[in-house]
Amino acid sequence: MRKSRFLIVLSSVFLLFSCKEDDIVPPTPVVDQLKITMQPVYGATPLALEQVVLTPEGYKVQFTGLKCYFTSLKNGSKTLTQAALYDFAENGTLVTQVDGKPSDFNSLAGFLGVDPSYNHSDPSAFPNENPLNIMIANDMHWDWNPGYIFLKVEAKVDTLDDGVDNFNHFVVFHVGSDQIIQPLSFSNLNWVNSGNGIHSLALKVDLLKFLQNGTNSLDLKTEYTSHNMSGQEAISLKVIEQFKNAISLY
Amino acid sequence: MRLLVLLFIGIGIFIACKKDKVGYESTPYVLEIPAHFPDMPIPEDNPFTVEGVELGRFLFYEKKLSRDNSISCASCHSPEAAFSDPNKYSVGVDGIQGTRNSMALINLGWQKFFFWDGRAKSLEEQILEPIPNPIEMHQSWKDAVAKLEADPVYRNRFYKAFGEPGIDSMKVSMAIAQFLRTMISANSTYDVMYKSEFGFPLSAEEQSKLAGVTPEQWAGYDLFKSMNGADCLHCHSGAMMQINKFSNNGLDASFSDLGRGAVTGNPNDDGKFKIPTLRNIALSAPYMHDGRFATLEEVIEHYSSGVVQSPTIDVLMEHAAMGGVQLDAEQKGLVKTFLLTLTDFSFINNPKFRDPN
Repeated sequence: MRKSRFLIVLSSVFLLFSCKEDDIVPPTPVVDQLKITMQPVYGATPLALEQVVLTPEGYKVQFTGLKCYFTSLKNGSKTLTQAALYDFAENGTLVTQVDGKPSDFNSLAGFLGVDPSYNHSDPSAFPNENPLNIMIANDMHWDWNPGYIFLKVEAKVDTLDDGVDNFNHFVVFHVGSDQIIQPLSFSNLNWVNSGNGIHSLALKVDLLKFLQNGTNSLDLKTEYTSHNMSGQEAISLKVIEQFKNAISLY
Repeated sequence: MRLLVLLFIGIGIFIACKKDKVGYESTPYVLEIPAHFPDMPIPEDNPFTVEGVELGRFLFYEKKLSRDNSISCASCHSPEAAFSDPNKYSVGVDGIQGTRNSMALINLGWQKFFFWDGRAKSLEEQILEPIPNPIEMHQSWKDAVAKLEADPVYRNRFYKAFGEPGIDSMKVSMAIAQFLRTMISANSTYDVMYKSEFGFPLSAEEQSKLAGVTPEQWAGYDLFKSMNGADCLHCHSGAMMQINKFSNNGLDASFSDLGRGAVTGNPNDDGKFKIPTLRNIALSAPYMHDGRFATLEEVIEHYSSGVVQSPTIDVLMEHAAMGGVQLDAEQKGLVKTFLLTLTDFSFINNPKFRDPN
């Protein structure tokens, strides 16, 4: 009798501790996330950095860098994100991935470039994870006036059609300033469910269209640099307009 | 019944011992971030503690970390040389020279990758390399840890830094990383120029320093930033005086050292190296990844007229086709004058960064 009472007590003690230690953890609810990507293409073909393609004028060109800011992405009063930094070399096609529901963003409007309301803020003061923080902005900020670089397109061009590859003509478009910010909008968005609560929206930027869009063209032999310096306003505007017009749903 | 009571007491003691592990509470270290700097990203698994920083400082100057107890981290990162090596290549315990110049250790808490080729993604990861490296300290981690374990003072310091007994390579690396992150340089003449330019409040001492900035220093700064001048801004800007990037800055037409390319295996990265900060540049000669330039004059001449084309040259070397930015003698002098404003004597002479022994 004493032995069986002892065994019951012992079993109860183990039962008590085993119940306490192994609480049933409810599954973590999946948080909806919205992911935007942008694939560079050249005409109908996806483009990789350093890949050699022909300009409309017939020069060989290698794009070596593509970076830009999208800011104040909203649908009416609902904000998707304050800022997204697209850096094709570092992050591939990812533009942004943030919490949100597709039903809240069947349309999107915002800017290619940095919203003037924070373009001149202290870049060190943004939270560490904000793409506008100088640690993330990195070389996309030159100083507080004009502020951030909105768009970087860098390339090497072989301007001599002599059968010898010599990519010694450098293209450096680093443009920004409040005056040339470009409004963007997309409607009737079809977010694709990619699983795990992620809903994706694919954009593309057609760099062939960037170089020639109807009658508007950029001849990289003669139009190859801008840093928003005095006298470069026109080329800066042209570059960012051409880039914006090359972006569309993929 | 007595057995039952004993059983309960036994279980009680067991549970009590298991739950309340005895340990040392380390003291949180409060790092002062300069007003014109961004927040420092601190790894969650290696928070600052007073004891950790202090231990890291001892370890940084600890020669036991080398096989023959002859060199420490500070041997190749000397305070007088802005925590770099005045020799072109550092020499390891076996008398073997390295192939790259030791990098200056400045504001490392804001770096995103380490070594000239960026092969380490964190400071902790970087610190693990030199001790077993045959051309540096050439000692196994096992032996290094055993030497530290044999020293009761170190056993105590590690216990206090990490709140538990025991020493291992990760704890060594974490402590040194904590110390290195405290090594902030933000008190040069350039800092007051930068802060005044962007409207940061200046202390009385800084106001006085600003008043002493010469027209030549300002002119050099303008030239340094000008795209049509020295065009240094593309790679060296902001409070850190650098951007986080790998670049081929036109040193060679072909590469004996592939740099970043050897890490990524991507030929497009061949000949690219980490862009270093220019802070304390006057003290950290020789220059470039291989220490090929002994003086600032040689560096300026390179960017002015010595740039060489190669397949991976950075497009930001926009004047490469002409061999460089083509500065005249006066302009070269002004750029050098500005570069001297980047020296932060309070950093170099800070007793908190010096050998504690």
